[in-house]
Amino acid sequence: MSTLIAERPTAELATRPKAPKRRLRGESKLHPLVWVFVVAVMAFSLIPFYWLVNTSLKKGASLSQGELFPSQPTLENYLVVFQNPEFLLALRNSVIIAVVTTTVALVFASFAAYALARLKMRRKAMILTLILSVTTFPAIAIAAPMFSIWRDIGLYDTLLGLIIPKLTFALPLAIYTLTSFFKEIPRELEESAYMDGATPFVAFRKVILPLAVPGLATTAILVFISVWNEFLLAVTLTTSPESRPVPVAIAFFSGTSEFDQPLGTISAASVIITVPLVILVLVCQKRIVSGMTAGAVKG
Amino acid sequence: MATKTLQPGRAAPAKTSGRDRAERRLAFRMTAPSLVIMALVAAVPIGYAIWLSLNQYSVRTAGLSRFVGLENYINALASQEWWAAFGQTFLFAGLSVSLELVLGTAMALLLNLAFKGRAVLRTVVLLPYAIITVVSAITWQTMFQPNMGLVTNVLSTLGLPGGDVVWLGEHGYAMAVIVMADVWKTTPFAALIILAGLQVISAETYEAAELDGASKWQTFVNITLPLLRPAIVLAAIFRTMDALRVFDLPFVLTRGANGTESMSMLAYTQLRENRLVGEGSALSILTFLTVMVVSVIYVRFAGGNIRDVAKEEQ
Amino acid sequence: MDLNRPAFPLQSQNNAAAPRNRKALAATALAAALLLSACGGGAAPQGAEQAAAADPASGANASGAVNICGVKDASGIYKGTAEAFTKANGKVTAKYTEIGATTDEARTQIVQRLEGKSTECDLFITDVIWTSEFASQGWLLDQTKLVEANKDRLIPSTVETTKYQDKYWGSPFFTNAGLIYYQKDKVAKPESWQQLYAEAAKAPGNGYVYQGKQYEGLTVNFLEMLYSAGGEVLDDQGDVKIDSKETRDVLNFMSDGLKNGSADRAVLTYNEDPARLAYESGDFGYQRNWPHVYRLLNATPLASSFAVAPLPAWEGGKASGVLGGWNLAISAHSTNQAGAVAFIDYATSPEWQKHVAMDYSQAPVNEAAYSDAAVLQKMPFATELLASVKGAKPRPISPVYPQISQAIYKNVYAVLSGTASTEDAVQKMAEEITTAKASF
Repeated sequence: MSTLIAERPTAELATRPKAPKRRLRGESKLHPLVWVFVVAVMAFSLIPFYWLVNTSLKKGASLSQGELFPSQPTLENYLVVFQNPEFLLALRNSVIIAVVTTTVALVFASFAAYALARLKMRRKAMILTLILSVTTFPAIAIAAPMFSIWRDIGLYDTLLGLIIPKLTFALPLAIYTLTSFFKEIPRELEESAYMDGATPFVAFRKVILPLAVPGLATTAILVFISVWNEFLLAVTLTTSPESRPVPVAIAFFSGTSEFDQPLGTISAASVIITVPLVILVLVCQKRIVSGMTAGAVKG
Repeated sequence: MATKTLQPGRAAPAKTSGRDRAERRLAFRMTAPSLVIMALVAAVPIGYAIWLSLNQYSVRTAGLSRFVGLENYINALASQEWWAAFGQTFLFAGLSVSLELVLGTAMALLLNLAFKGRAVLRTVVLLPYAIITVVSAITWQTMFQPNMGLVTNVLSTLGLPGGDVVWLGEHGYAMAVIVMADVWKTTPFAALIILAGLQVISAETYEAAELDGASKWQTFVNITLPLLRPAIVLAAIFRTMDALRVFDLPFVLTRGANGTESMSMLAYTQLRENRLVGEGSALSILTFLTVMVVSVIYVRFAGGNIRDVAKEEQ
Repeated sequence: MDLNRPAFPLQSQNNAAAPRNRKALAATALAAALLLSACGGGAAPQGAEQAAAADPASGANASGAVNICGVKDASGIYKGTAEAFTKANGKVTAKYTEIGATTDEARTQIVQRLEGKSTECDLFITDVIWTSEFASQGWLLDQTKLVEANKDRLIPSTVETTKYQDKYWGSPFFTNAGLIYYQKDKVAKPESWQQLYAEAAKAPGNGYVYQGKQYEGLTVNFLEMLYSAGGEVLDDQGDVKIDSKETRDVLNFMSDGLKNGSADRAVLTYNEDPARLAYESGDFGYQRNWPHVYRLLNATPLASSFAVAPLPAWEGGKASGVLGGWNLAISAHSTNQAGAVAFIDYATSPEWQKHVAMDYSQAPVNEAAYSDAAVLQKMPFATELLASVKGAKPRPISPVYPQISQAIYKNVYAVLSGTASTEDAVQKMAEEITTAKASF
């Protein structure tokens, strides 16, 4: 542990909430043991993923050989996936659903989180408990009634019909995460904004939000992925390829019989759909560390 | 030290009551959209599930039902299956969440280090979280498949123990695979939340500690960990909630055999497979209550700033 | 809004079961009433009504669209049949909608639609084990007349899978029966289970793989042996007969087989696909699986060395099996029943049944198809398959079949994995099946 060198925000960044440039302190001073740990973490994360990629490059009988390296690697599974018009539709649907849900959830949740973290309000404990209970309720118990209601009000088998419930189940995670982060931001900054005559809402927009960028980016990734991966509501509330998202479309990939898991194509599709998420992470990960000046200003 | 300032109490200066009222109104307006959406979507199905749990619906005669009050709950609580599933679920949650928090903290510290290729590491570490749960379950299943799985192959090639074990067919081993699969997939979730928590710890805090002559380990234990507590508790709440409702992993990997049946699986079997709708709804609600109690205990006793929010009486 | 109810509430509440605590009852009833009125409660009772029946003659004048719903169309048979029917009929257009990726999920989605009185689907593809449950809930159209009209062209055992309380609630579309695949260069053709197990134990590469995971497939594997040993689960009167010498013999036999190496312990984790994949590695002698495996095995290096046989007999008994397959059931809420009847007529016709075998490698429900030259060309094991289908028996017929099957596979699994003794497992099985049958 003694080798860990925490990366430190420097004091001069305090005045610039969005600090684009950082000095990577200690860049060359990492202890070899840290590198060992880096490698271990990479291996732990990558080995099952490697197995998935490995499976996606096999077809037919070689799927059952358990070879560590495919002896006759083939991209056929990937071709099959891309030639499947329903998969491309599903990819479009998933992107729309995840982007819209994440955006709306972040806006609503940051409002609610600010009120909970900063403003005077009655019954905060009760509100927090209620919010939590929404995600805690087992989805299998509400899927069937939701199907009927959605059908009656015309939301069944539409993208909007998926965005609304996914938003509902994403909000608690977003509200809790953001409340926790907003709480960390020192009050002194808002107070000085108040001195300048700002209203609480202006303080929220001008002071809190910019400082909370790491929290927002983290929340965005978490919400996006959970929305992207959700299956039960997706399969319950859709019926046609026009509104089906990716996890359902993958489940519907055909093998040769109802007993046959098309391992190769499922694996290939799973690898393909990590790409948008990798892009998301690459875009967001800079943000995770950019607005972290909150602590510094306290002095 | 900085602990105090980082968890601000209610140090707000006295304000006029007019401003108070305005602030309350604003708070109401800001929470309303979220609460309304959640209420609209969740309230009716949840209320309906509660109603179902107080009845029994005949699986033999069409349209026959009877009101039984709490009988479904009493029967569930008197059954061996429920308590077996209860114990197995808590075992799973305890093992997987503690591993995830320890590994997640270590990963977060690593991801917070400054070195070339950090962006790559961040992306790689997040990959497992991006895999759909069912696909990850299938991947782990094939990895541990006797004779043709990655793990069993490597173990037996290297002559290590475990190569000839039918992992998913034995007590203990089956739970181990399920825990590993869960840890693999969701440690990134914990790591990400904890990483964001690390970001708000100020450099001055560390410099002050360094001046005091604290070792790195002392700094970690005495400063970093306490300051990370809100983030760790937050990760723990959501991970525990999910772990206590685990369904996909045991459903795909073992179908609940070998001591891996979870509370959610039991509810699923009654509700979906057996269509004992009253009994199944009661099991769902018992699962829900169990998870709620655990979550509230976390919020109240584990600390973190969610507790601070909950305790505010304004 | 019309919330879907598992059964309609209130009207038929059983007053005999009213709890004593009146205050609690009143309060709960009030809350319930509020909730129900909020949800637009008060659907009309329907259970006691006579189920509507399908008219066999109506198919001739049918028109409009027919939506067929069911499990993922893995072999392409559903979409293929819908297309061919649409082309041949000219007036009715049929379309297939996949609503579940697995059998379990499809059942959930179908039940959801039936409970919610959805008119989205006219026809459902139903697993043979769902008939009693769906029929008892009044969800399906009575197809007795239709089945009677088509009976001469359908294999009787497949027709029986659509029967509940002396009426037919569906028409068989294609059937399924277990087969033994064996490596003819390594092991002998299976004549009896005892011989198969003995042969399998002789050498490490001779082993037997089957479906031993804790799920429906284990019930099937167990019943196949139990039936051939002369045992049964329920008798003709519906009484529980599982607590028998035959059950004990079969359980001991299966569990001994795992101990002495006839079957690899890994079967405890296998459902259909892992069993096939394991067998394809070439490390085993025998495999129990469904007919679809034939086509897959033919694409592997084992293509020249494997052969197919019907399930063997129990020593001193006769060969038997368990019938699988899929039926066509008309939804009680269908808005185009005539179109559905027309589709059934087409799908079960002798002509189309040949395509079922030739184009999709599924087992036809029409006996003549099995001896058709073109079919034999594509499906050389058609004779063995027909023998298996004709010898196979249905799984227990009961609206609580899922519970009965759980009682079987959980307890069989307990014996196989060594966590319960045969004696305890048999008694528990009998108890649980009796309890299931007494369900409200």
